[in-house]
Amino acid sequence: MAVPWAPARKYVAVSRIQLRASLVYPLDAAGRAISIVLFVVVFLNLWRATYQGAGRSVAGLGLRDVVWYLAVAEVVMLSQPRTAALLAQSVKDGSIAYQLARPYRFLLFHLAARLGDTLPLVMLTLAAGGAAAWLAVGAPPTWWGVALLAVELPMAWLLNFLMSTAIGLLAFSVEDTTAFEWIYNKLMLVVGGVLIPLDFFPGWLRGAATLLPFASATYTPAHLFVRPGGQGALELLAVQAAWIVVLGSALWALYRRGMRRLVVNGG
Amino acid sequence: MSRPVTPTIKVRDLRKVFTVTRREPGLRGALRSLVAPARVEVAALAGISFDMEPTERLALIGPNGAGKSTAIKILTGILQPTSGNCEVLGLVPWKQREQLARHVGTVFGQRPQLWYHLPAVDTLRLLAAVYDIDGRTAERRIRELADVFDLGSLLEVPVRKLSLGQRMRCEVAASLIHRPRLLLLDEPSIGLDPVAKHHIREMVLRMSEQDHVGVLVTSHDAGDIEALCRRVIIVEHGLVVYHDELQTLRSAYLSSKRVRAHFAGPATLGGLPPGVRLLRQDGISALLHVDTRRATIDGVLGLLSRAGELADLVISEPSLEEVIRAVFSGGRLEATS
Repeated sequence: MAVPWAPARKYVAVSRIQLRASLVYPLDAAGRAISIVLFVVVFLNLWRATYQGAGRSVAGLGLRDVVWYLAVAEVVMLSQPRTAALLAQSVKDGSIAYQLARPYRFLLFHLAARLGDTLPLVMLTLAAGGAAAWLAVGAPPTWWGVALLAVELPMAWLLNFLMSTAIGLLAFSVEDTTAFEWIYNKLMLVVGGVLIPLDFFPGWLRGAATLLPFASATYTPAHLFVRPGGQGALELLAVQAAWIVVLGSALWALYRRGMRRLVVNGG
Repeated sequence: MSRPVTPTIKVRDLRKVFTVTRREPGLRGALRSLVAPARVEVAALAGISFDMEPTERLALIGPNGAGKSTAIKILTGILQPTSGNCEVLGLVPWKQREQLARHVGTVFGQRPQLWYHLPAVDTLRLLAAVYDIDGRTAERRIRELADVFDLGSLLEVPVRKLSLGQRMRCEVAASLIHRPRLLLLDEPSIGLDPVAKHHIREMVLRMSEQDHVGVLVTSHDAGDIEALCRRVIIVEHGLVVYHDELQTLRSAYLSSKRVRAHFAGPATLGGLPPGVRLLRQDGISALLHVDTRRATIDGVLGLLSRAGELADLVISEPSLEEVIRAVFSGGRLEATS
């Protein structure tokens, strides 16, 4: 494949091989597509009951908004790159030694690899989640939001990549990172707005939560999907951009530090 | 390509100290470790120095935990030493890791670099891209490697379906895709059956001679070393305990023989002359170690025939395996078993 920028060729090759490897066993991707359909069905019934008691709109969001919001948040959750687990595993089994002894940027290698293996997940969960939400509550609330998703989904993915990779790099100095991964996932569910839209939180809590990177990675894309031109949209985008810069720099620093502390197991 | 005249590897007083948390056994120990972890410093390398000439094949051997793999990891730049200096192909590995990686191929024994679910040729093509090799050159190189490593259609089979021996051949081929000037083999034959071991050694040897590739191999397997290397460095507890030609190591040891005698009936050995030691004895057989610089085989035969009626006699030289074991256990080239 011709690539305009020659140094990028190796990273494209990494993405492609990882994509091919992920297609060997398509069951994982299919499983996630089925889960997102189940989630949408559960959300629909749960929130329909809630809205029957609470009226047509809660905190400015109707039933259609909430179901679409949650579908988008689930797409982000189910297709997030899992660098943390993969890095921890390669430190444990020592194959990290190969990853480091190659002429490429280690972090870019992982970025390219995760792009490759999550691409089918993004496509499948998006298609399945979108279809399920459409059938459940009708067309997306705004087409603007759909257009914005083309930017917001990659942003959310990148934020998750930065956070997951940072956790993975901890494996260079601590033995087990599963506790960190667990905390990270729970934070995504609660203060990231995956379980309940942050709009339903008390004002001060919503304000505080939206300043955290977890919300930037899930609440922001999901909220902007249903309310792209709403109040505070620009702030959400600014906070998201700031987190990408901050976490990107932090990851780089962590990588430099990790390289000095790395203990490669075995032998 | 012009070859450097300076050593391919230059290591001076290299030290690597790891801080490890010592876990105490039992629940009480686990709790204590949680509150006040006992940290101890372990010197994986306690100051080693050696050189390796271009195109040389050098063995780094030693028992488990001697520091061989730590040394390899420092040489590839994935570990930083605590102190000391080291240059590989004129580069400082941990400072110029990416640059160095272009000229060094590495095989880490049982750690996979091939994509498990895909055919090996996919990994080879990926690595070619990673090393900035254009498509046509890559295909030519892949055919060359397939030829030397006798891979044929194996390259098209998903790696998970290959036997360990077939996989290792693919692994080594993958490490050579970019025509490295130096090949680092960390336990390349571990877990392989004798035939597969033999294949790998033959192929590495052929590649090394054909492409003028220097080879540094760490191994537990004396066979790897005998087949591949002319010079050997023995490390133990992070220190170099022996460093010389393999031939010198052997000849230092070839001054000794083992004599196994079986008697037709009960036998009694008389007093042993200097240079002869009794290693094992039961009623009808005896195993002797003979230092041929101090005792003659003829004298030993006389001794044995006086002891009883000889039924069988075997005179053997110690294997490299035994030589190495002796170096580890005594640090001196004296037989112990």
